[in-house]
Amino acid sequence: MSRIGVFVCWCGSNIAGTVDVAKITEEAKKVPGVVTAVDYKYMCSDPGQNSLRNMIREQNLTGVVLAACSPHMHENTFRKAAVKEGLNPYFVEIANIREQVSWVHEDKERATQKAIDLMKMMVEKVKRDKPIEDVRVPLNKRALVIGGGISGIQAALDIASGGVEVLLVEKEPSIGGRMIQLDETFPTLDCSSCIMTPKMVEVNQNPNIKLYTYSEVEDVSGYIGNFKVKIRKKTKSVIEKDCTGCGECWNVCPMHKNVKSEFNMNLSERTAIYVPFPQAVPLVPVLDRSACLHFKKGGKCVKCYEACGPKCIDFDMKDEIVEETVGAIVAATGYDLMDNSIYGEYGYGKYKDVVSGLQFERLLSASGPTEGVIKRPSDGTTPQTIVFIQCVGSRDPEKGVPYCSKVCCMYTAKHAKLFAHKVHGSQSYVFYIDIRATSKGYEEFVRGVMEQDGAIYLRGRVSKIYEDGGKLIVKGADTLSGNQVEIAADMVVLATGVIPKNGAGKVAQMLGISYDKYGFFTESHPKLRPAESSTAGIFLAGMAQGPRDIPESVVSGSAAASKILGLFSKNEYEVEGTIASVNEATCVACFYCQRVCGFNAIGPKEIKDRSGKIIKVVANVNPGLCTGCGACVNACFSKSIDVKGFTDDQIYAEIRSLAI
Amino acid sequence: MEDKKEDKKRDKEEGSVKSDGSAGDPRIIAFVCNWCTYSGADLAGTSRMKYSDNVRVIKLPCSGRIDPLFIVEAFKKGAKGVLISGCHPGDCHYISGNYHSRRKYAAFRDLLGFLGVDLSRVEFSWISASEGNKWVSVINEFTAKIKSLKSSSSDIFKK
Amino acid sequence: MANTDEKLQKIAKDLLEGGEVSLVIGYTKGSIPQRMRPVFITKAQDASRLSFSCYAVQDLAVFLKKPEVKKFGKIGIVVKGCDEKAINALIQEYQLLRDDIKIIGMECNGIIRQNLADKGEAAVSETTVYDKCLICNEHTPVLYDYLVPSENQKLNLSGNIKPYAKIEELDSMSAEDKSAFWKKEFDKCLKCYACRQACPLCYCSRCIVEKNMPQWIDTNIEETGNAQWNLIRAYHLSGRCIGCGECERACPVNIPLMLINEKMARDTYSLFGNKSGLDINAKPVFGVFSESDFNEFIK
Repeated sequence: MSRIGVFVCWCGSNIAGTVDVAKITEEAKKVPGVVTAVDYKYMCSDPGQNSLRNMIREQNLTGVVLAACSPHMHENTFRKAAVKEGLNPYFVEIANIREQVSWVHEDKERATQKAIDLMKMMVEKVKRDKPIEDVRVPLNKRALVIGGGISGIQAALDIASGGVEVLLVEKEPSIGGRMIQLDETFPTLDCSSCIMTPKMVEVNQNPNIKLYTYSEVEDVSGYIGNFKVKIRKKTKSVIEKDCTGCGECWNVCPMHKNVKSEFNMNLSERTAIYVPFPQAVPLVPVLDRSACLHFKKGGKCVKCYEACGPKCIDFDMKDEIVEETVGAIVAATGYDLMDNSIYGEYGYGKYKDVVSGLQFERLLSASGPTEGVIKRPSDGTTPQTIVFIQCVGSRDPEKGVPYCSKVCCMYTAKHAKLFAHKVHGSQSYVFYIDIRATSKGYEEFVRGVMEQDGAIYLRGRVSKIYEDGGKLIVKGADTLSGNQVEIAADMVVLATGVIPKNGAGKVAQMLGISYDKYGFFTESHPKLRPAESSTAGIFLAGMAQGPRDIPESVVSGSAAASKILGLFSKNEYEVEGTIASVNEATCVACFYCQRVCGFNAIGPKEIKDRSGKIIKVVANVNPGLCTGCGACVNACFSKSIDVKGFTDDQIYAEIRSLAI
Repeated sequence: MEDKKEDKKRDKEEGSVKSDGSAGDPRIIAFVCNWCTYSGADLAGTSRMKYSDNVRVIKLPCSGRIDPLFIVEAFKKGAKGVLISGCHPGDCHYISGNYHSRRKYAAFRDLLGFLGVDLSRVEFSWISASEGNKWVSVINEFTAKIKSLKSSSSDIFKK
Repeated sequence: MANTDEKLQKIAKDLLEGGEVSLVIGYTKGSIPQRMRPVFITKAQDASRLSFSCYAVQDLAVFLKKPEVKKFGKIGIVVKGCDEKAINALIQEYQLLRDDIKIIGMECNGIIRQNLADKGEAAVSETTVYDKCLICNEHTPVLYDYLVPSENQKLNLSGNIKPYAKIEELDSMSAEDKSAFWKKEFDKCLKCYACRQACPLCYCSRCIVEKNMPQWIDTNIEETGNAQWNLIRAYHLSGRCIGCGECERACPVNIPLMLINEKMARDTYSLFGNKSGLDINAKPVFGVFSESDFNEFIK
């Protein structure tokens, strides 16, 4: 038997000025199930809340309706007050008679009638409320970071510094990501590896960080607090714990001219057993079996094995699957560059001296194929004139992508500056659409490149590049002067658009997080929840979310880490109890609910008899993932799933209370 | 059980305290999502905008929760117009609730129309939390439209 | 015809003998030549009872939802193209495993309407078959393990007969006229739910009409509840109905249910490009969405 109390708030004259509060109170008393109804000047005030509490206690109320301001204002206030009297917080319902009645209507009689209708509606709803307990999910206080670039490294270090164990999984043989490929960084010209390698070493030495390089996350299941993760450790063919990184093995490898170095963007070669770069972390080589003579020629070549002092080369080693449990995940899978060859007119792939921005970084780098001396890939001579082309692929909805890759304006300016510094008397030309230099020190930097370093900026597009007598003839438009220009260049550098890492979409599907049409991971809220993915417990960092520069990537790594440390500061994760639940007796397992669930919260559950035989399969809601949106309820034909707090029965009662 | 009996008793007494629901004073029921439209309607309130008082709002977590069958029940209980409103495409608080529902509404609307329900009586809108003014104009225009319909253009769900 | 039956019987016999299935659902000759009735064969020697003809009207896929059939495990079933789509839809909706069923597809050139057949009609022609046969694109089933070719001539369509012509007529009517039309039809409804029982895709163990928290549909015989039942039935089949027409055939008061089903099939096709039951790997139309879905009706 319901014992409902109705409390009508005047909100001073805000409600009472337009609505006859006494009439609502009188009408409330007539509604079956209502045992008491009062009106009061300010229900949210301390005396107001006290009268609510007293009434719950004295009248033994089973539910209360407040005819007051919007639930978005004070629902929590009144729920808290009710809880203090032992009432379940979900037995408090609000009829919004201020924002949606007294403030928007003028005719007092009609406004009062509407307020009465809303009050009655909520009485019918509260009668059908069931106690709802918030769900508590235990937390495994370990984190997984996918991607060992700068944002993943930052996230891992920050989480580890909070005393939490972190697994850092990196696909490549070394952590470092894209940043370690860069030469110097804009606008301060810090040497990238000088600031990066200490962080990489820190990762390796931190007792809270478990590093998996040359490894990939293969499967993720579970939910916040309890993700089961399968990591494939691809075989390195090297016993990691014994390897000293001395380099004897790669020094004797006969396959030193056969494989392009991925790290050097194909501008040099590497051996079959190799470390991608000298500062690699961990400094343990991997054996690329697709290139190794031992594997190609039936086990004849064992040179590396013979050269290895600690005998840690193992040709029989196999991939290993490691299973781990973590409570939270950071997805920081990074980026790739677009394929330049779609721009046939620029001759990338056809002319050796047309290179991408990342290739130019390698040519600038002291650890690169030319040891930091800028040389043409074609003949090794030092270029005197370089043309830089911005927005190759970016901001080009026709052939490339419509978005701005954000970092190209700045790295092109940096390239022009470093070129001017390294090759005195040289000249660079930059074709651009707009200059976007919006962070601290960026605009000044670009200005300096134009004014002190003498780079000539031409606003316009390049239409054609062709080779003529050892020169690259660049034809383009200078739209500011209106002239066609033709430049005889020694090299051309394309500022290629940034795209999500190859395979990012698969990672997103595995994690159950959403991604946009380009493949960048989408945030739970673009403004207010930029570090969270759409799935609870999974956080985002770095370029996997979209183009951004190093400081932004670092910040996003730290943001993800701080979210995880915040989450782990409690022992349990609390989820609002207003979630979906299945009527297993009538569920026929068509799984339309699963199809429409945006949160991967629904899966199959086997119901077994006493002997363990499966009787039937039904849908099952994972409370850690369910957000209570109710899309599943709408999808269910047999109405075998409902969402607590907004049940079909309650909504029908609301509709029926409005019957005419 | 007790409550059910009471409901039945109350249902019989129905009508005395209600607005008359006639063509001149039609009852409109709006099913709205909590995050966008409900907040938009609140904003209209905090901005002290004025609009037609025929509408009764039923709040749900998401337009994904707004079952097309609610429309039928609303008509059966005497509503002359039904509004369904949620977040704009791409803005769903729950990622995709409005997209899934939009599909269902498109089909359900065709079905209603085919069975002879005057589709002027069923309105769908996307109203964001910042569109208090849109809420006001949608309600006013919808109410005016319903009032302009012939009272005889009823539907198969109402005796 | 005899040849067709022999081929069919051989397939069923082999399946049962080889233990590949423990039950074959098919048609057998009824007590009068113009009626065929379903038969459940569990022994190889009984396979000779199987038969097929232009009177094989029933969609046998309806039996696949029954627990007493499910318990047989691996099942062979004789299907026409239209019926076979129901099997595909059931697989799509996880009600059936592809591996658990052997589909004996019958090439079909049209089924003679039962009322005409009962009067002795024997010629398959555009004036004697069901409307569904006139719009059929699956005279050969889209999915089968065995195919029995037809010995009959292809159905010849002159284009003079417009299948389900009433749909266009209703579409052009005013809301009031449509309402009047359907009110008259739904007034006849007895709430016997034969439409539901005959439907291969109405597989819920507890139908929405049997749920009473809330009472979704008024179950007493008043016309508002009748309209509600018929609307909700059609809504639950929108984008799913494969057009076998069994609901309409089962209706004892002749409500033209296929007009609604076909209308919704046409609309979901024009809105979302979906045709039900054509691909067991496709996602059901209301289990997915597109960001560019039809939005014009929303303010």
